Amino acid sequence: MLKNKTLQQTWLVTSWEFLHFFKWKQEVISKLIMVGFALLVLLWQHLNNDQQSIYNIATSPDIHLTEKSENFTFTSSTKSLTQLKEELANKQLWNAILTETTHSNGTKKITIYSKDKQSWLVDLQQNLHQQYSLNYAESLGLASEQLSTLKQPVTFNSQYLDTNIKAENSSATTTAMGMIILLAIGIFTSFGQLFVSITGEKQQRVTEQLYSCISPQTWIDGKILGQMLHAIKAMATASITAVLAYAFTRVVIHGNPIDFSIIDWSLLPWLAIFALFGVYLCTAFMAAIAAAIDDPNHSAKTSIMLLPLLPMVITFLTMDGASNWPLTFLSYFPLTSFVAMPVRMSLIDLPLWQPLFSLVLILALCFWIRTAAARLFKMGMTMYGKEPSVKDMMKWLVKGS
Amino acid sequence: MLLSRTKLPPKRSIAPHITFCEIGNSMELIVDKVKKQYAKVTAIKELSFSVKQGEIFALLGPNGAGKSSLVRMLTGFTQPDAGSISLHFEGKEYTSIPSHTLGYLPEDRGLYPEKSVIKNLIYFAQLNGVHKPVADEQAQYWLERFELLDRKNEQLKTLSKGNQQKVQLISAVIHQPKWVILDEPFSGLDPINQEKVVTFLSELKAKGMTVILSAHQMAMVEKLADRMLLMNLGEVVFYGSLHDIQQQANTSVELSVQFSQPIDQLQSAKLLSSTKHSLLNDNVLHISLNASQSMNQLLNTLTALGNLQSMHSKKVDLHQLYLSAIENHRGSVNA
Repeated sequence: MLKNKTLQQTWLVTSWEFLHFFKWKQEVISKLIMVGFALLVLLWQHLNNDQQSIYNIATSPDIHLTEKSENFTFTSSTKSLTQLKEELANKQLWNAILTETTHSNGTKKITIYSKDKQSWLVDLQQNLHQQYSLNYAESLGLASEQLSTLKQPVTFNSQYLDTNIKAENSSATTTAMGMIILLAIGIFTSFGQLFVSITGEKQQRVTEQLYSCISPQTWIDGKILGQMLHAIKAMATASITAVLAYAFTRVVIHGNPIDFSIIDWSLLPWLAIFALFGVYLCTAFMAAIAAAIDDPNHSAKTSIMLLPLLPMVITFLTMDGASNWPLTFLSYFPLTSFVAMPVRMSLIDLPLWQPLFSLVLILALCFWIRTAAARLFKMGMTMYGKEPSVKDMMKWLVKGS
Repeated sequence: MLLSRTKLPPKRSIAPHITFCEIGNSMELIVDKVKKQYAKVTAIKELSFSVKQGEIFALLGPNGAGKSSLVRMLTGFTQPDAGSISLHFEGKEYTSIPSHTLGYLPEDRGLYPEKSVIKNLIYFAQLNGVHKPVADEQAQYWLERFELLDRKNEQLKTLSKGNQQKVQLISAVIHQPKWVILDEPFSGLDPINQEKVVTFLSELKAKGMTVILSAHQMAMVEKLADRMLLMNLGEVVFYGSLHDIQQQANTSVELSVQFSQPIDQLQSAKLLSSTKHSLLNDNVLHISLNASQSMNQLLNTLTALGNLQSMHSKKVDLHQLYLSAIENHRGSVNA
């Protein structure tokens, strides 16, 4: 019965905390702005391309272009440059005019005349570059294969004595890096909101009213869960936005089929579990510290709240040696494992027991930090006018008041 | 007698049903030799008293007397450094008032100013275990009683200080607690609303709630309180009912006597040596009379001093008792 009551109270605080920062109107408006922006990009692209797939290019008679192109038609014209420019400007016969001059050292210079700056001009330059390379190779008596070899004379293949290391540029690394970025987004979201929420409640003096009906444990549990929901929402929103942006770029702009092979789906569930534990630990830590802050404008403890970002920084610094002891240690140490273990998993093949053991350790820490954070939270929230010293906080952390 | 809460039937209409407490076995909150120290400041020196179930008990005292420190110990926010607080309830012994039986109006007021009045009230009622439909019904009932129903959907911060105070008061009792602790319930309220709160508290008492209130409005306390505790500098100055306190203070009636002609100051001092008195305007005497003194004897003395023109009497009120008791206590501490 009591357990049910506590759960009900925790859920009430959770939903109150979540809805305190979740505004339906703002959510809908921000998403509509995103869709509108995507449509605008699409429309811009559509209008800018002039709805034309083949561009007519006039060339001076001394230019010899033999290669055919899907997008460009090259027509040699004997008209004067002035006449061609007039046709380019007024009659829309041409999309561009090319003239060629040869330097004393034998190199050639192409001048491209167009009405204004257009994105397809870049494609035209690439096309011309390719044709001139081939022409030059031909003049030297080289076949196109020989020209390719000249361009890329060697390829590389890395082999490591540590056979656990995965191939470079694997989808696992991309997935792990993506998850760490999402984790940072989630933690930053919780950081800002928790700070506002807890110091605000303290300044609004709602503390004693709440303590008269719920325990500090219930209060901090509700707040942590509410902020975790926000962090998950922020991470999900960022993921969906990234996926949409990727799909938009790939499908709409480049016209390629959608491809999610950059994601390692087998690694994703592990990363999600570690990320959840990580968000919990960081949120609990920040809630406890925020409770000790009396005046957010003048407290030095605000900087302590940034500590949860430290595991990410340390992991990035040590990730070059995936099998070395620093990253191995960090992947088991419960304060850093939520970042380090996913990175290790993405870089090297690990036996199942390793991530499982790491999860057990982080779970144990979560249980301890839950009660320790509540002790700190209770003492911090009942102190008005002065802030507890770090010594006091360490004392409460271990054994309460 | 044991108080037991009965569930309200879910009704759509706003009904004045506060029939939630039944009188059962008696409970008593006992505070025994409690001490509390904060760093170098002694908030409570040594305090003993008890609060009986169903009474209105007033905590009185000047600022810094230790009332809020005492209240925080009663609610369990802090623990005494020495002594004990005990409450036997539902077969268990508690060292403070258990939260599921407590309604609390703290000294530091605070609800959520950005949220609407009704959302604030329902949230706190739900935290105290009241189902949402019942909480909504109760909130509307109390808001109507305090003439705030038409403002229920407004943000709390848009209300005046007095109206916010009323909402805070409702949030303290909306879940129908057995014990209510109200720290300064009259502050910020105009005289009309102060009277409403007096009626409101009397109703709570009539329904079986035990009310502990701290206040500086002596007239209100005098109307409401069954018993009271006056504190100063963390010590008891007086404790008991108003009648008990009047007896302790050895003063029950104030007399104002006017003579037709100026009286002899030396003679009056001699004749009234055993009575508290002061001479005003040569012909007006102020006399404090305690319950043991004889009025007939006093009249004889007064007629000996001169011709009486008029005589007015009034009972010593709590305000005067408070002032003189605190003054005496400060004097004794300084001495």
